[in-house]
Amino acid sequence: MIRNSNGSTSEALGKVPSVCSLTAGAIACLFLAACASTPPPTQQITAAEVAIGHAEQAQVADYASPELSAAREKLTAARAAVTKEDMKTAKRLAEQAALEAELATAKLNAAKAKAVNEEMLKSTSVIKQEMQRNQGVQ
Amino acid sequence: MKNFNRTTQKIALVAFSAFLFTACSSSPKIPSDVVDVRNKLMRLQADPQLASRAPVSLKEAEAAVQAAETVPKDKTLANHLVWVANQKIDIATAQAETRLLEDQRKDLTEDRANARLDSRTREADLARTDAERAKQEADLARQQAEDLQRQISELNAKATDRGLVVTIGDLLFETGKAELKGGAASNLNKLSAFLNKYPDRTVTIEGHTDSVGSDDYNLNLSQRRANSVQQFLLNQGIASSRLSASGKGENFPVASNESSSGRQMNRRVEVIIANVSTAN
Repeated sequence: MIRNSNGSTSEALGKVPSVCSLTAGAIACLFLAACASTPPPTQQITAAEVAIGHAEQAQVADYASPELSAAREKLTAARAAVTKEDMKTAKRLAEQAALEAELATAKLNAAKAKAVNEEMLKSTSVIKQEMQRNQGVQ
Repeated sequence: MKNFNRTTQKIALVAFSAFLFTACSSSPKIPSDVVDVRNKLMRLQADPQLASRAPVSLKEAEAAVQAAETVPKDKTLANHLVWVANQKIDIATAQAETRLLEDQRKDLTEDRANARLDSRTREADLARTDAERAKQEADLARQQAEDLQRQISELNAKATDRGLVVTIGDLLFETGKAELKGGAASNLNKLSAFLNKYPDRTVTIEGHTDSVGSDDYNLNLSQRRANSVQQFLLNQGIASSRLSASGKGENFPVASNESSSGRQMNRRVEVIIANVSTAN
């Protein structure tokens, strides 16, 4: 409507958005370039979260896992590094958090397996002792 | 000339040393932490119990050690790679240990099953032995009871509340006398044999008469006849502590004194063998 009534104005106004888009594009490019050089380690952080979840499931009551604590601390530190935009450190910390959690799970499983075996050994020796006691009575 | 030579030698030596030094520094020097992590991995790979039990994790650990061995210039990255390698070796070790424990469980299950089986077999054996012993004891007790019964029937004994009563008739005594006749021995021998076989039984010997004659005379005669029997048993080796003899006179007739046959039955010596609670 305005353009129809005033062609020159419309022409003058038409130039403004093109300059704007140019600037916006440049800024976007700048951001994109920044992002491409140091992307946040989303994948590593997710992996660490999953690994910590596994370790928590493997955890036994009354059994402290220093590795699991370390995993949680390193994941927190990784997130802090992301907010500080130190993506390199964040990535390493997330990787370490995942590996700490993985070790926690492995050690918890080993401890559980050991407890089961010891229980079996104990019950076998109880049976043997009872048998010897019966022999003694005879 | 000599001096000059020595100087040249020194220079040559220094130059050579310098050359060696450069050679050393130019060749890639592996940091000690990387060497340590490689050695740690090798120890795990050489462990016969663990090496084959976590193949995937061990492969990852191997890759991580190789990555650490590239020794990047970035010191932080280098440290990170060594840390990762170390961690992966620990993970592989823990996983292999878990697997080893699980594999050992088969043997443990078998051990426990065997122990249970042994225990049950033993229990069954014990039960059988107990049953056999109980049967033997029962057999023995029955045999003893049968023996006793046979002996009692041979003695012509009567089972009464007071015990077994063996009645020795007056035919064993001369009229008015207390001495046993010669033929009495065979009858009394059975009694002494029985008493020798059952040494825990005590014996009461009671003399009785018919109503003929005075009470005093009869009492005295019955006492002497009871004593005769006691003496016979003492001579057969029966302990005196087991024997007691008393004369009852004419006070306990077993038949009427009106007839001669009744009076004959009343002239007698009764040997009462006490029952013992353990024997039946």
